[in-house]
Amino acid sequence: MAVIEVKNLTKEYQLGALTTIKDSVKNLLKRILGKPIEERKRFKALDNISFNIEKGEVVGLIGTNGAGKSTLLKHLAHITTPTSGEVIVNGTVAPLIEVGAGFVPDLTGRENIYLNGTIMGLNRKQIDEKIDEIIEFAELEEFIDTPVKRYSSGMAVRLGFSVATSIDADILIVDEVLAVGDLAFQRKCFERMESLIKHQNKTVLLVSHNIRQVERLCSRAILLDHGKVLSDSTPIDVTELFYKRSNEMIQQRQKKVTQKNLAIKGSGEMELLDITILNHEGEPTDKINCNTPLTIRVQFELKEDFDKPELVIGTHRTDFVYLSSSSTALIEDRPSFKAGIHMVDYCLEHYPLIPGVYCVRVAFFDNNGRQVFHGETLKTFTLVGDRKRAGMRTLELPTKWYIEGNTYQV
Amino acid sequence: MIATIKNLLAYRELILVLAWKNIAVRYKQAYMGLAWAVLKPLTLMLIFTLVKTFVGIESGDIPYPLLVFAALMPWIFFQESASEGVNSVVAHTALIKKIYFPREIFPLVAMTTKLLELAIGFFILSLLMVYYGYMPTATVIWVPLIILYTMLVSLCISLFGSAVNVYFRDMGQALPVVLSLFMYASPVIYPLALVKEKLLIQQVAGDWSNTLYTLYTLNPLAGIIDAFQGALFRNESPDPTTLLPGMILVLVILPFSYLYFKRAEAYFADVI
Repeated sequence: MAVIEVKNLTKEYQLGALTTIKDSVKNLLKRILGKPIEERKRFKALDNISFNIEKGEVVGLIGTNGAGKSTLLKHLAHITTPTSGEVIVNGTVAPLIEVGAGFVPDLTGRENIYLNGTIMGLNRKQIDEKIDEIIEFAELEEFIDTPVKRYSSGMAVRLGFSVATSIDADILIVDEVLAVGDLAFQRKCFERMESLIKHQNKTVLLVSHNIRQVERLCSRAILLDHGKVLSDSTPIDVTELFYKRSNEMIQQRQKKVTQKNLAIKGSGEMELLDITILNHEGEPTDKINCNTPLTIRVQFELKEDFDKPELVIGTHRTDFVYLSSSSTALIEDRPSFKAGIHMVDYCLEHYPLIPGVYCVRVAFFDNNGRQVFHGETLKTFTLVGDRKRAGMRTLELPTKWYIEGNTYQV
Repeated sequence: MIATIKNLLAYRELILVLAWKNIAVRYKQAYMGLAWAVLKPLTLMLIFTLVKTFVGIESGDIPYPLLVFAALMPWIFFQESASEGVNSVVAHTALIKKIYFPREIFPLVAMTTKLLELAIGFFILSLLMVYYGYMPTATVIWVPLIILYTMLVSLCISLFGSAVNVYFRDMGQALPVVLSLFMYASPVIYPLALVKEKLLIQQVAGDWSNTLYTLYTLNPLAGIIDAFQGALFRNESPDPTTLLPGMILVLVILPFSYLYFKRAEAYFADVI
């Protein structure tokens, strides 16, 4: 039997300002007189969604901002009511409320544990049993009898997470609470979530923008877009689609950005004219196979002569993780540039990364190290691969397998 | 009805903890602590006693400060649980958007908080009674029932009011003002006996006197305050004729108020 059944769920919100009493009275009068009333524009946060979740499933909900993820969770937690359709939940639901949402600054840590625990449905005895573990996990033994208003923000967040994950319910709802505290504590949180999910056989709904987390923790993923279910399948398939869509979005947005030159800082002595991506046959393209040579051709104009300047060309991911980069400063006798138009090619034998969208950056310094030009995401290109499955890795390296005397090349 | 009460019993621990939170937050960093809870009735008692010395209110044999304090206890309990109840839902916006439990818990919590302050009022009252040499009689057993009835009266207002306040914050602003004016329409400064005397015996309003008296007793607090004083000082059981009009009103309004609250509740998280 399904633990959660969602049938044709639709939720509409009204757009625009709040109604004042004046408007309400006016509308009431119009209704009584039988005149048409002004309808405010409505917005569909969820649009006819249906799915079932079975016991023990760990489902990741992903989607861009405003896709309807949180609205959906609110319906499952019984916080809001559908405009139409039905949500049936068989079992107790425990929302991991936004860390620290229920904290009262004037109360001590210990008092807040009792308060928050009761709000989440524990009774006094259950809290008594768990309190030591909660305090220990939050690493707050020393400060537990100090008012929460004197806590650092990290301490408060740790306490919140620790209380939230100690509750007992059939269905856990987790909305973006995993990344709290410093790196060491984040690690601990992640392990705790994993043990909650994997060893206690609970039904879990996880909303996250951290797609890797969804890939790792979930047995199923649902991609929402503008209130509709776009894909409901294995995490790998769904996250692949998600990446594809968000990369397309970044590319579109990037086009607008370069037109306005927002991403460029410069002194004006250099002007970037054009960047082209060339494939192994020397033809301009936007799509490159990861196993073939890649050339980035940069054309620029200098307003004056530069004696042995430094030119840097590199690539980065859409989330600004730098991938490759090279500088003319590495050349033993680096070339000088005269005023005028120049064309430079930056060639890579191959670009062994997983399929996706990647960006180009260019920087130019004079021989004193003064920055003349710097720009990121100046051009994007799409990398395509031969292998079917993406995900769970960053590098796309050819691999050989030797298994029981057989050699396999993948 | 029974299901509703059962459901609330299941949440009694939450109500108590939230009420304890309200008390703790209010008095935690105050040196005088809970003593502040009785400041309001005590000051009002002193002011009214002072006013009485040059206005002249016919108050019978019972010492005026004692009489006024006993009137202020149920009155302030009613007034504050109603006006804090009205603001209680909006005050917990963060919880309402994050977690579900029956929302009527918030007005109930506001009332429970005031119940504790009322208990402190009883302590002061007993000191006053000892000072004036009044011993409670058997009729004191009516007091808990009178308080229970007062709770129902304040719920009439706080359930409906808190739901309206989610949509229109005007409610939370206006109600405390209206209620404080309402005090003068209740037998707080003057005893009910005075109203009875003027309207029923002296017939000061002519033909309208009896109707006016019924209208006056439609205010449930008129019956409550009089019954409270009677049970404590005059060895009297509550007088049904004074209580009845108000009770009928409460029995009509309370179900409506509760149903309105439950209907509005479903959209609290969207609107608040």
